[in-house]
Amino acid sequence: MIKDILSGYKSSMPDGVHTELRAQMNRNRAVVLMSGNIIRNEREDISGVSARSYKNGVYGFASMAEISDDAVKKVLKASLENAEFLDKHISKNREIFPALPDGRFMRDISMPDPEQKIYVEILRMMDDYIEKNCPGLVSRMLMATSNGVEKLLVCSDGHDIHDDITRSHIKFKLTAMGNSGNPVDLAGSFGGYGSMLEIANNMEGLYRQVDGVYERLMDKRSGIHPEAGIKTVVMGSTMAGILAHEAVGHTVEADLVMGGSVARPMLNKQVASELVSLTDFANTAYGQQTPQPIYVDDEGTPAKDAEIIKNGILVGYMNSRESAQRFGVEPCGNARAWLFSDEPLIRMRNTLILPGKDKLEDIISSVDDGYYLLDYNNGQADTTGEFMFGICSGYEIKNGKLGRPILDTTITGMAFDMLKTVDMVSDTINWTSSGTCGKKQPMAVGMGGPALRCKVMIGGR
Amino acid sequence: MENLKNVAFSALEALKARGAQQAAVSASFSETKEFNVDGGEFSLFRTLFDNSLSLTAVKDGKKGSIGVNHFDTETINSAADNCIASAEASEADDNWEFGPDAGEHSFEDGITEPDMNLFFRRCQELVETIKSDFPKIMIEQLIASHNTLSTVYINTNGTVFERKSGLYNLMIMFSGHENGKGSSFFGTGFSTCDLSMAFIDQASLKRDLADVEKQIDTVPVSGKFEGTILLSPGCLGNVLYYGLSNFANGNAVNAGTSLWKDKLGEMVADERLTISLAPRSEEIVCGDRWTGDGYLCEDFELIKEGKLNSFIMDKYFSNKTGFERSGNYCVGNMIVPAGTTPLSEIIAGIDRGLMVGRISGGNPSSSGDFSMVAKNSFIIENGKIGDAVSEVMINGNLAELFKNIRDISKEKEPDGSCSLPWIAFDGVTISGK
Repeated sequence: MIKDILSGYKSSMPDGVHTELRAQMNRNRAVVLMSGNIIRNEREDISGVSARSYKNGVYGFASMAEISDDAVKKVLKASLENAEFLDKHISKNREIFPALPDGRFMRDISMPDPEQKIYVEILRMMDDYIEKNCPGLVSRMLMATSNGVEKLLVCSDGHDIHDDITRSHIKFKLTAMGNSGNPVDLAGSFGGYGSMLEIANNMEGLYRQVDGVYERLMDKRSGIHPEAGIKTVVMGSTMAGILAHEAVGHTVEADLVMGGSVARPMLNKQVASELVSLTDFANTAYGQQTPQPIYVDDEGTPAKDAEIIKNGILVGYMNSRESAQRFGVEPCGNARAWLFSDEPLIRMRNTLILPGKDKLEDIISSVDDGYYLLDYNNGQADTTGEFMFGICSGYEIKNGKLGRPILDTTITGMAFDMLKTVDMVSDTINWTSSGTCGKKQPMAVGMGGPALRCKVMIGGR
Repeated sequence: MENLKNVAFSALEALKARGAQQAAVSASFSETKEFNVDGGEFSLFRTLFDNSLSLTAVKDGKKGSIGVNHFDTETINSAADNCIASAEASEADDNWEFGPDAGEHSFEDGITEPDMNLFFRRCQELVETIKSDFPKIMIEQLIASHNTLSTVYINTNGTVFERKSGLYNLMIMFSGHENGKGSSFFGTGFSTCDLSMAFIDQASLKRDLADVEKQIDTVPVSGKFEGTILLSPGCLGNVLYYGLSNFANGNAVNAGTSLWKDKLGEMVADERLTISLAPRSEEIVCGDRWTGDGYLCEDFELIKEGKLNSFIMDKYFSNKTGFERSGNYCVGNMIVPAGTTPLSEIIAGIDRGLMVGRISGGNPSSSGDFSMVAKNSFIIENGKIGDAVSEVMINGNLAELFKNIRDISKEKEPDGSCSLPWIAFDGVTISGK
């Protein structure tokens, strides 16, 4: 646990400068088992202290790999000097942010950190299960990972925090030989908020996940290439999550909006069917804790939900304190940093397309000729809103019934065009949280949504 | 450097004292100074001081690793305890092996004392040049940094490597805007030790900016056809990376999923294609000097005139599979020799296809099948570059692509990490709306 040596420096933070002082520890654990052999077995503990100073419209930042009074003094001094260097050459002369109410947030930070042998044992049990129950595989790759982040933040104004968030997952990839003679593979993941001990206590849940992926992989051996073109598809709830994050979420991050994203001229305009609403939740959704619960962000802003699309209308962006000032809105706590040596950037937290009223089976049965897209292995989007998702699992839909499995393909479209074609939304949602968002720094995020019926361009042969 | 060596030797002794029969330690100190531009404005100046201590131990055939970023005795001993505990929790595998005693080697390269004032002026100059010469371009983000790294690697076989290096890196993302319309974003960058040349003239930056200005207005491509794709050097690097990761990587060979696993010594590509992994080449700025398992890096030809010469194989996978270890594992340091045809002639010879600046898509599956969106791309018809396109997909198979080379350009665009030409590939399915 990080000892609080930071609070004593709050009173010495200079006037007219917004200052953040942060001590942080990242704990990463990983074990990889490849077809029964451990090929990676690592632990990593990275900690240090950093300071960021905002003066006259520019930031200075400095970090050191130690948590000590000496390091705190050095990073405070260097961050201010860096801001002053830029200010001298750039001269933006912008005002400091509107002050936030002072406060302090402390969460129970006794997050367990299991020994490495727990990771190995879980993978070994899982590997035994796969060997016994999943015949016909060419290879199997299993990975147990855990990322824990403990933060102590002291700001010149706003909320100070001491928090610890850990997420743990089992990721796996199974490969079989397809009927065409080429290998086919499918991946899965299991886990979420909490330590690896929680997965150890739910091995049955993990096995059910393996069973599902294996069953779809066996189907995929006889998969066909989908027919290329614009098709009616049912995007499963996992797909809705990546759609929410990649295709919409990034375009409404205020730094990208200022950089010219497609969302810049669309505020308060129709960007989706009125069946579509999207919110970036801070820490709680529908009475449940979200996968990445954020209570105060790394600028000292108390976190609240950021409503992005309401009944098809774009109603807001995700902001830092700086961008919120420029757009004249209140920040919702979206500024987050990954390592002690990283500065806060505008990041998503738990981005969700809200559920509708349709039953999944009714959505599928409503499609005469299309595809049911279940899972992705990659997702990217452009600031124009053009997105690309690699589809690794899906089925044809013919006359309202699921048909042949499909091989890997890609779907693409313009997010705000595609969302206008959504005409059915399921009443249940699914969260995923094993992915890491990339934007200068990595970041743990949650994403989710319901199943959607829409039109999208699908690749094929 | 002496302090780093002391830290490394203390950690190695701590691992040996805890029963490690084989062990390796890497200790580093880095200093980064970085300017950021966001939305066209300078926004941030960062200074980062970081340490890195990486311990790997093999005890009774079981391997464990740990990374920390403090050098004090308490941290070293705790890391050694955790490293051994991790190893003991693992399972025995006799294939773990560090390189034999390579002796003592010391390297110093690049610019270890940066001229930050000149560096900042070059960055300012670039931002101003883009504003004046490319008025439709919006810089979404520019990250310009100087990184100095001092590092020591030692292992129980007696090897001692030490190095001090420094280089300037620039990464820029931008898009084109006019009359309320915008292009796709584009990212490019380079590494250099040379501040004498304006940044606008480095690598492919000027051409990239000009291309993106032309990509504000796009047209859709109708229907589906088999055509030629002409990949820019930057885009080619991504495609080659995907192919080599799927087919030539030791992991894929060991897993049995590589389509090339039985093709060593056989033709896997067009005979005009040679791919070297060359971190020591003068074309590569501050490439690796040693491998993670304790060998000095040696440049090698992975594919020579179309023939698969080697896999990308570390000692562990070499022992597992029986194939020879490769000279290095630096897939990010590819060099492809130039062809003989000027780019303009290649374009003039293409009846129908795409000039592709970027692809958006994930790692293709083990089969090599790919389905990607062509971004920052132009249509080519009857030997001429036409409109920029949007919502166009390209589909095919990577293994087939390596064989279906139409031509390789005479021109190259080295960026400090790779040195690649333009390559045109036939037989790709191009589909639009």
